[in-house]
Amino acid sequence: MATNTLMAPGLQAVGLGPYLTVGAILLVLGVFGIFLNRKNIIIIMMSIELILLSANLNLVAFSGALNELSGQVFTLFTLTVAAAEAAIGLAIVTVYFRNRGSIQVEDVTLMKG
Amino acid sequence: MHTLLTDYFPILVFIVIAAGVSGAMLGGSLLAGWQKPYPEKVSAYECGFEAFDDARRRFDVRFYLVSILFIIFDLEVAFLFPWAISLGHIGMFGFLSMLAFLGVLTVGFVYEWCKGALDWE
Amino acid sequence: MNWTLALPEIVLSCSGLFILLFGVLQKRSEPSFACTMLTLVAFLVTGILVVVAPDGAGYHGQFVNDGFSRFMKILSLGAAGLAAILSLDYNRQEKTARFEFPVLLLFSTLGTLVMASSANLMTLYVGLELQSLAIYILCAFARDELTSAEAGLKYFVLGSLASGLLLYGISLVYGFAGTMEYAGLRQVLTGGAPLAAGLVIGLVFVIVGLAFKLSMAPFHMWTPDVYQGSPTSVTAFLAGAPKAAAFALLLRVLAQPFGHLAGQWQLLIEIVAIATMFLGSLAAIGQRDIKRLMAYSSIGHMGYAAMGIASATDAGIRGTLVYLATYLIMNAGTFGCILAMRRRGRALTRIEDLAGLGRTDPTLAVLMAVFMFSMAGVPPLAGFFGKLMVFAAAVQAGLWVLAAVGVVTSVIGLFYYWRIVKVMFLDAPVAGAFDHRAPSLSFVSAVTGVATVLFLLVLGPVTGAAQAAAAALFG
Repeated sequence: MATNTLMAPGLQAVGLGPYLTVGAILLVLGVFGIFLNRKNIIIIMMSIELILLSANLNLVAFSGALNELSGQVFTLFTLTVAAAEAAIGLAIVTVYFRNRGSIQVEDVTLMKG
Repeated sequence: MHTLLTDYFPILVFIVIAAGVSGAMLGGSLLAGWQKPYPEKVSAYECGFEAFDDARRRFDVRFYLVSILFIIFDLEVAFLFPWAISLGHIGMFGFLSMLAFLGVLTVGFVYEWCKGALDWE
Repeated sequence: MNWTLALPEIVLSCSGLFILLFGVLQKRSEPSFACTMLTLVAFLVTGILVVVAPDGAGYHGQFVNDGFSRFMKILSLGAAGLAAILSLDYNRQEKTARFEFPVLLLFSTLGTLVMASSANLMTLYVGLELQSLAIYILCAFARDELTSAEAGLKYFVLGSLASGLLLYGISLVYGFAGTMEYAGLRQVLTGGAPLAAGLVIGLVFVIVGLAFKLSMAPFHMWTPDVYQGSPTSVTAFLAGAPKAAAFALLLRVLAQPFGHLAGQWQLLIEIVAIATMFLGSLAAIGQRDIKRLMAYSSIGHMGYAAMGIASATDAGIRGTLVYLATYLIMNAGTFGCILAMRRRGRALTRIEDLAGLGRTDPTLAVLMAVFMFSMAGVPPLAGFFGKLMVFAAAVQAGLWVLAAVGVVTSVIGLFYYWRIVKVMFLDAPVAGAFDHRAPSLSFVSAVTGVATVLFLLVLGPVTGAAQAAAAALFG
């Protein structure tokens, strides 16, 4: 794949590997941010955005490497969905805060078992 | 590698120009302006926060509402740009598709207006 | 460009926007009743359009209409319609009757329809997100209750994580196969070229994301909390249409583009199904809250339904589809009974609140018992036929272990379903009778109850439709 002559010039010089590596690192950071974070729900929301962005990076890099546009179109959709998700997440966190008076992760334990 | 760097040359030019213009503005006002600070003038403005303060303070929930509304509507631009550039190729169907999309956004706007989400008080 | 392919979806979305405007411009009274009725009408019209919509693919290979999508769409619309009826009186009694509820329900259902018709990974993702985002809001709909807010928060975080993983998987599949269309993917994969590792990893990510949405073990942990915390009218919806739609996605993705890789994913689905069935039946035993019990019960049902996928045959898919149809009927009926559990204006969810129901309200108790036995798979009730078909398919495909686990967990399941029946008929009443049942609940429970008992009469047509759907999937 790295020898595709139709690739965007930037990709041709650097190759696909580094893009995918950065994407994978972002994904792992995001997943760990959700599971290891014990403090604030806002941080979890940031981690979710990180995961979506890692997929976006992959899509754009692949789209450049394959010289095919659907990956970039998909990225636009993902961006919009991510914005809607962030808005809904913020709204839910606000509702939760009004009821609970805190957005510490340790406090989200009303239901268990 | 060489062609790669030439590709990015315009960005370097932009960075230099931006640094130059902003430096000139700041320096110019520093040199030529008549400065007479007093407490009212140097106090915080806009959002009402101290500029150098603890960032982990709680603030009014209404800011969240504004940001939520903003997030939704600023992203329509992400669709408008590619649409505007390719308008010549996509014909009437493309044009009407975007109108339908904007119509959906308008419905959302009417909803939040009628719900009073746009009133500060 | 064939416009009419997506006519049901277009009509449904336009009516959603119209209902939203209608509701918000109504100044005098809360129009939630009128909006729910309009939503039901929209579902009905959409259902008719789904039946008459032509077959074919369109929108540049993004969208497809076939027997399979039609079957799943009818299931989704039916389940969503029943959930909308169930919400009518409950929301009013809980003072959460706002017209946004039916609108969100409608948009979520729209998402499930788009999912059923996806012919491209992009459509898959957009449909899935439309469905999920609306449900996140619905879970937190009782905004003055902490449990509801917490349920919304948990579902939001874990659901977003799942869609993030799914999206990452999609990006890998796209990159290593070079296309997002199912047809193109199928071509690439049947080309005989050696399989790229990235493609397999991407497929695993996609399956994990969908397993999250289906609450299959080991990705089930959000289910009990979300089911318990959400308003019960939302739980009734959550356990129905979205599950059917997620199954539609899983079936379509696995059977169409990745059909030739059955050897790669069959074992994965089999292991997940076994874990899910065990978890669903064992964890349900100790539950005291009926909504939590229903959560584990639905986890178990997802495991049985996945059994048909694991067998990867025509008969297996058909079994899964029939299973889903019976599950949706029983589910709506059970939630109709659960919503009827109210004393002195307060909703009850503990199992011991059902004590002595056989004496205080025999009709409700008999209905509940019918649904419980049907869920356990007792013949000749509806649940039995679904189970029979997936078990038979698993045996035919040579998956003896899977079928044996299914039988064992069914027996365990019978035990905890029997516990509810025992509480209702053998325990003495601890408190007085339930409040007078709302007409909407009686209607749904009665209709689904009759359907559960007399399912044998419609078994032929349903199986025929499922057969046609499975054939369209493999065609």
